[in-house]
Amino acid sequence: MTAGNTGADGAAAERSSRPPEQPPTRRPPDGPLPLGARPARNAIVGAGVIGYAWLLGGAAPFSTRALLYVLLPGAVLGVVAFARPPERIPPPESVDVAGFSYWMICIALLFEWEASAVRQDTPAHPSLTDLINPLIAPHPIKAAAIVVWLLAGWALVKR
Amino acid sequence: MSTRTITVIGFVAVIAALVTLEILGRRKIGRIPTLSEWLGYVMRARTGRALILAGWLWLGWHYFAR
Repeated sequence: MTAGNTGADGAAAERSSRPPEQPPTRRPPDGPLPLGARPARNAIVGAGVIGYAWLLGGAAPFSTRALLYVLLPGAVLGVVAFARPPERIPPPESVDVAGFSYWMICIALLFEWEASAVRQDTPAHPSLTDLINPLIAPHPIKAAAIVVWLLAGWALVKR
Repeated sequence: MSTRTITVIGFVAVIAALVTLEILGRRKIGRIPTLSEWLGYVMRARTGRALILAGWLWLGWHYFAR
């Protein structure tokens, strides 16, 4: 009789004595977890962002408080971007020069149109700021716009 | 058509052009990069990264602190 020769009944007994096989656990790959993997943390961060946007939206224009509320996320993102950058989305190796120039032309036109409106400073030639400010004057809408701005900043940091 | 209307049409036209470029970029028409692609390319360098983030901060100051 050799060791380990348990036979068919012995093998069945051995299987039944073992704990039921656990399904193979899938360990997440190295790197950040998917967006929805930490719902509690995401909810807390989201509530913080919305709350901060609400505070900034309620600040009076041209006030020190409003300025500080804008500078604070800028400082935070600056530190994150340069000192502790998150996992960044790989940038393209190159971009088409002609295609990129189309973007630059449109952006330059936008800035020039805006600058000419600011220089003239007449109701007949409103600046983009003059057009947008009444739209974002209500507090909830302004807060929503600030949330979009903050999310855009985070998206830039991840680039 | 008043000057104000012409000004508004000008802004709408430029913004529509930007949106069109983004759509063309996403559909890979004419090798136009998307906003995300060229921003990512510009932000490869620290200087570009700083400039783009400064621009973002300026936008926030311009619309939310003033």
